[in-house]
Amino acid sequence: MNTILRILKFSAQDIARNVWLSVATITILVLTLFSINIMATVRVISDNAIEVIKGKVDFSVYLKSEAGEGEILALKTKIEGLNNVKSVDYVSKQQALQKFRDKNQNNQQVIEALRELGKNPLSPSLNILPNDTTQAAQLVESLKRLDSDIIESRDFSDNAAIVKKVDYITGKINEAGLFVIIVFSLTSLLVIYNTVKVTIYTHRREIEIMRLVGASRSFIVAPFLVSALIYTLIAILLITSIFFPFLTLLQPYLEVFFTGYNINIVSYFINNFWFIFGVEFLAAAFAAASASLLAVRKYSKV
Amino acid sequence: MIHLKNICKTYSHRTKVLRDLNLNIHPGEFVSIVGQSGAGKTTLVKILIGEERVDSGQVEIGGWDITRLSRREVPYLRRQIGVIFQDFKLLPKKTLAENIAFALEVSGGTNAKIKSIVPSVLKIVGLEDKADRYPTEISGGEAQRAAIARALVHQPKILLADEPTGNLDTINADEIIDLLLRINRFGTTVILVTHNREIVNRLNRRVVAMERGEIISDQEHGKYVL
Ligand SMILES: Nc1ncnc2c1ncn2[C@@H]1O[C@H](COP(=O)(O)OP(=O)(O)OP(=O)(O)O)[C@@H](O)[C@H]1O
Ligand SMILES: [Mg+2]
Repeated sequence: MNTILRILKFSAQDIARNVWLSVATITILVLTLFSINIMATVRVISDNAIEVIKGKVDFSVYLKSEAGEGEILALKTKIEGLNNVKSVDYVSKQQALQKFRDKNQNNQQVIEALRELGKNPLSPSLNILPNDTTQAAQLVESLKRLDSDIIESRDFSDNAAIVKKVDYITGKINEAGLFVIIVFSLTSLLVIYNTVKVTIYTHRREIEIMRLVGASRSFIVAPFLVSALIYTLIAILLITSIFFPFLTLLQPYLEVFFTGYNINIVSYFINNFWFIFGVEFLAAAFAAASASLLAVRKYSKV
Repeated sequence: MIHLKNICKTYSHRTKVLRDLNLNIHPGEFVSIVGQSGAGKTTLVKILIGEERVDSGQVEIGGWDITRLSRREVPYLRRQIGVIFQDFKLLPKKTLAENIAFALEVSGGTNAKIKSIVPSVLKIVGLEDKADRYPTEISGGEAQRAAIARALVHQPKILLADEPTGNLDTINADEIIDLLLRINRFGTTVILVTHNREIVNRLNRRVVAMERGEIISDQEHGKYVL
């Protein structure tokens, strides 16, 4: 108990006596953690974006108005039998009209034009969702080759290409992010190493005397490890108090971008709070402690 | 108490600092070690406190073979040997009492032990009324006495003094030597490394003279030779 209190006291003295060095150490740790969390955020957003776009990848086959129920259902079964088909949705003439009305209910001119027309101008259709959007091109080929009298036209939206693009862009962002994280992490380790080096230098008399009077090795080393832990702890506390306001600022932009989809980056980080920041703390503390230990080994002769 | 058998020591490839040195010191002795600068006296002290290792030979202290002492064991050796130097090695931002308490704090002394030992060692060196002074507020002689008080906190069987009077005038130096003699009378083995001819001659105790890493004379009631 005594020993623990004394180690804490020495560690507090280390930190206080080199205040600016401690500030620099904590700053670089915060920057590192910030870059890591930014990467995590980008990851969450891009995963969501891909999900959203994937949901939008669907193909439609428009049918002739006079096509009979039986023929349509046969075609539906046939398409369901194709490779990579998740579902086939039959939208009848009436349903199509209803959808069209709902969509344009605020557009008086369109509604007026419909009424003047006096009949349903829309075609029934089959909407096809692919299982795997990345393999959608093959499905498009199969649908193009589909031969049936009742098919009036086909519509293959190009969202699959967008998914590929988003995948590609996030891949690039991840690469760049990884590079930034590595640079920041290495800088952190170097800064911590040098902080300990300077701390040892400013405490060289104490350390010399400690060794002379028979302080055990662990007692000389422990305060440095405790300081490393305190630095990491402060950095984690700072990053949580910086990062959540940052996410709150980001959230409205995301909501605009993902209109109609439920994406909440703030609650994602809140729900995974202990996991994200716990793992970050453990990893940072481990790295900081290792860097300190290396410096102590090298410069304090214990 | 101390047995050195054929010890040799070389720092990084250069000439031997200690050559085949043999020395036996019995419990309760007061031994002065003299010799010119570079003779290897401090190196000998460093070997005795486990700061340096010998290249060959054997080092035994109080029945403990420390020839190949591991780093982990060094602190235990240091708690059995008090050591003082020419430059006192006091921490300027701590009072004398705090300086002495520090030695116990860092080597696992309990609070109760600190409370009882600090005043008692201050009393031995006659500094009980200056316990709360800072090292900058006392004389060199007093600083060395404080350093001696700190060296005594573990009640060592051996006290090593490497030129303890090097920075002091004659009066203060004599006071320190008297203090070392008093500590010796309590039964502590004292090894005094010094350049001071008058001190050695006045002591009239065992004198070991070194030259270029060898012992050139060892007299029971010696004078300062060289
Ligand atoms: N750490 C070291 N590395 C290399 N050489 C050293 C080291 N310490 C001492 N020496 C050399 O070893 C020799 C003996 O040094 P030592 O300090 O033992 O002498 P000394 O007898 O104590 O001298 P002084 O009376 O000046 O204190 C000297 O030539 C010195 O230059
Ligand atoms: Mg010397």
